[in-house]
Amino acid sequence: MEPAVGSFFLLFSMSQGTPLNEAQALDWLRQLEDPGQRYYAAWWLGRMRSHHPEAAPLLIQALAERGPRPDPASGIDEPNPIARNAARALGKLADSRATDPLLEALESSDDGLREAAARSLGQLGAIKARRPMLRRLAPGPLVAGAPRPGTSRLMEPCEALLEALGALGWQEEDGSTVTDREPLLAVVRAYADHERPLIRSAACRSLLQLTQEDGWGEQLVHLLQHNELQVRRAALLDLGATGWRLAGTAIARTLAENSLKLIALRGLVENSPARNQASPSPSPEEVELLLAMDDLL
Amino acid sequence: MPSALPDSRQVQVLMDAVQAAQTADDLTDAVEDLSACPHPMAIPCLIQVLGFNNPGAAVAAVDGLVAIGSAAVPAILANLDEYNYGARAWSVRALAGIGDLRGLPLLERALAQDIGPSVRRAAARGMGGLQPHGFTAQQRQELAERILPQLKAACGDEEWIVRYAVAVGLESMEHWWRPPAAQRQRLLDTLEPLADPQREAVPVVWLRARLALNHLAAPSPVTRA
Repeated sequence: MEPAVGSFFLLFSMSQGTPLNEAQALDWLRQLEDPGQRYYAAWWLGRMRSHHPEAAPLLIQALAERGPRPDPASGIDEPNPIARNAARALGKLADSRATDPLLEALESSDDGLREAAARSLGQLGAIKARRPMLRRLAPGPLVAGAPRPGTSRLMEPCEALLEALGALGWQEEDGSTVTDREPLLAVVRAYADHERPLIRSAACRSLLQLTQEDGWGEQLVHLLQHNELQVRRAALLDLGATGWRLAGTAIARTLAENSLKLIALRGLVENSPARNQASPSPSPEEVELLLAMDDLL
Repeated sequence: MPSALPDSRQVQVLMDAVQAAQTADDLTDAVEDLSACPHPMAIPCLIQVLGFNNPGAAVAAVDGLVAIGSAAVPAILANLDEYNYGARAWSVRALAGIGDLRGLPLLERALAQDIGPSVRRAAARGMGGLQPHGFTAQQRQELAERILPQLKAACGDEEWIVRYAVAVGLESMEHWWRPPAAQRQRLLDTLEPLADPQREAVPVVWLRARLALNHLAAPSPVTRA
């Protein structure tokens, strides 16, 4: 699941008075005096999926910016906040110039920046990122997936890395597909037993995307009954990302907000390998999912 | 509707359980039990639950109010909490589910102005799913003239789920409007842009709008459970 950045929007739009437009966002990102404005502008350009030719270059520049955690009174509570927001935004702009700078960010000592970079590389479908991401996860759940002392985080941003590997699939840069799949699958499978349910959910999502084996979908459906709402929410979104349609009924019954269940069911319709892209009308299976969505409106 | 109303003592016991609930889960369970015995006596209790900031319990309370139906509408309208955003959203959902015309002004305001997509989507569905019992053909036509432009305007909503709900709402207008052929074409014309992958970016929205068009084009009207 992506971290909620929206709360900052409220905070900033309250302090700044008027909402931004694209030209103003670019100005805010260009100036260097006010880091708060740069932070917000980076977020805004991603949120609005700016197509302006200057957006990606400015964000790539911002990605290199390092700085300590700002004064909490600013409303920003993370180190390297501008670089992190720039990394998040670049994942949404679909500009391939961002790939190499993001690969560099994936090697940062800041695990939060690595996390943002991994998610964006997955969103961009950056095949080059498969190897370095796999290398980060390879030490296994007891090392890369060990708690980072004094924080609630792990040594590596495992959730983001696992999800990105699933999103990348098996395509190679030359257009062929990976033939020797077991090494990657073995690394990812190890995380399906991680002690944290959110990591298990991410691993199952990734494995379901990579293998299309129903067993991983069944494990995600099992997580829909977890006693923590946060886990049920993550499993909903993970199932939506895979498009595993056998989960439709279980999703509709999950104890969570209808809004999230609707997003998950949308995912089953749109992301399933069974979806016939050429057909303007829904298949009978898709009609079932649509009617389940109707009941949640 | 249940075949027989549960007796009032039974309802009182269930309401007492709602008041006595100590945890969020207990509250949800108690409200689910109360909502399974839809009785007008329970209306104030169910409306109160809408303001508790407990989504599980609120979903159950909305179900209960919808099951009670029209009898709950005056109380819902009289108890709208202007200061509690969450509670207001749940009230809109209950009114949308009931389909009583007295709730229409509130649904209209919600669709046009509410900042919450979940509220606008409920309003769009509710405006299409009204149940104007006993209306003449002309009254139904007038009601359609009032609602159709508002749903058409909401086809431009920035949130995909609201546009999805508009497609569902337009489809369900047919059930009560029963439009003559020329009017029916207006319904199809309103749905057409939502069903067009060139104009609607989100596949699940154009698939739903296409399903609505398929239903409306079917020789006999498709009724849904």
